[in-house]
Amino acid sequence: MSDKELQVRGKQEAPADREQTRPGPVFMPAVDIFESGDVITLLADVPGVSSDRINIDVREDQLTITAEIDPQKSEEERYLLHEYETGMYQRAFSLSDRVDQSKISATMKDGVLRLDLPKAEKAKPRRIEVKTD
Amino acid sequence: MFELIPWRNYRASLVRPRKDLFDWVFNEVEVPRIWETEREWVPAFDVSETESEIIVRAELPGMDVADIDITLTDGLLTLKGEKKQEKEDERENYHRLERRYGSFSRTLALPKVVKAEAIDASYKDGVLTVTLPKGDEHKPKKIEVKS
Repeated sequence: MSDKELQVRGKQEAPADREQTRPGPVFMPAVDIFESGDVITLLADVPGVSSDRINIDVREDQLTITAEIDPQKSEEERYLLHEYETGMYQRAFSLSDRVDQSKISATMKDGVLRLDLPKAEKAKPRRIEVKTD
Repeated sequence: MFELIPWRNYRASLVRPRKDLFDWVFNEVEVPRIWETEREWVPAFDVSETESEIIVRAELPGMDVADIDITLTDGLLTLKGEKKQEKEDERENYHRLERRYGSFSRTLALPKVVKAEAIDASYKDGVLTVTLPKGDEHKPKKIEVKS
């Protein structure tokens, strides 16, 4: 079977560039970033995070996503297999002036965070009409 | 020619399952696979146990519940599914493509006999939880010593 060669996809731990105030590992969520027309969309996989445990911060052209994974294991449970780790998610992106920072919107659904970053007026694709006399 | 191959092909090739040599050669020469990003993947699982239940949790962000398939046969619990990449026509300009798409299938041999009719599965915040109540024979039983 090919299954033997497939690796379990665990979370990738984030580089420790800042001290955490709480114990536990910090993971880097996997993201897709794509552009469509006037919007840049960012999708981040944050399974196990409810929408009230996620924090999106825009400061000095830096967008930081911080989320806390709700530990679901109760006291009396004993692990037989443990691959799915809990802790925090954190990832930061720098925003260029192509993004209109006042219009960023975020939605959460089924453990996926979606951020819509509208392009600033000057970065929008523009079509220049050629006038004829 | 080489520089025209999109970068995501490179990443996809790292996770390509190599079934056997024949398949491998076959996959290599199949040209459209260069554009394919949907591959098999393995989600992370937790299996835990309490006195009365076995609990299986899987990290499956962004799934459609209809695409998750759970079966129990002879003490083997199989979780199968497919994560579809939302097709949006204008999604062309990718800057990053790190999230996994494609199908997964994982089978767990359950350590105890479970009550198949009482299995419960729920999906919340991208985490699938399957609760399997243990059969009565596994409940701790006190045996009186007669004198």
